[in-house]
Amino acid sequence: MSVKKIQAVCGFGCGSSLFLKMKIQDILKEHKLEAEVFCGDIGTCTSVECDAIFTSTELADRIINRTTIPVIAVSNFMNKAEITEKLLSFFK
Amino acid sequence: MDELIQRTRIRVKETAASWEEAIRKAGNILVEAGSIKQEYVERMIAVVKEYGPYIVISPKLALAHASPGEFVLRNDISLITLSSPVHFGSKNDPVSIILCMGCTDQNSHLNRLSKIAELFLRDTLINDLIEANTVEEITTILKG
Repeated sequence: MSVKKIQAVCGFGCGSSLFLKMKIQDILKEHKLEAEVFCGDIGTCTSVECDAIFTSTELADRIINRTTIPVIAVSNFMNKAEITEKLLSFFK
Repeated sequence: MDELIQRTRIRVKETAASWEEAIRKAGNILVEAGSIKQEYVERMIAVVKEYGPYIVISPKLALAHASPGEFVLRNDISLITLSSPVHFGSKNDPVSIILCMGCTDQNSHLNRLSKIAELFLRDTLINDLIEANTVEEITTILKG
């Protein structure tokens, strides 16, 4: 199986998505899971190849209808428990 | 640059009647420092009006920024704490800390921002910052 690609998305792909990306990477490491995690912006995220998009609840509403891949909404980018749960259920 | 957020870019216990005013206060620090243009401050507010309060990335914390490049003269970050929190209409309200970021492109600031993100991922950091009464205390907390 190829390594999964996870896109962390915010408005411009260079601010809050970085916080989310780092948290996701920490959790992956802790659970010994492998994935390529990168940042993206709301404008172009659906034309970038990936297996899942993680983003805020506000932005998820705007992305979900534009793509067929899972769009996972995160309320708190620093809540390890929330992100862990959502990340692990994506890997199931 | 030794300090992740320079002390001249930090204000403590500011007052703001609305989230817009809070963003302007944080943004104006960078305008006065010559790092961003005034237009950028209004763009940061417009982003929230367009996309919703997604910049409130965690309880009590907003990371205000607009698109890289335009109206940004150099990468810079300011931080303000509020004596009374403001509401953005987010699940993570009320907000007491505004980080304001301007970046010239999508990549050159990432090293510094990722170090700041690492700091903020510490559990107690946000509450410690809110309780701080002086810029000195904030810089001490940020040094870890």
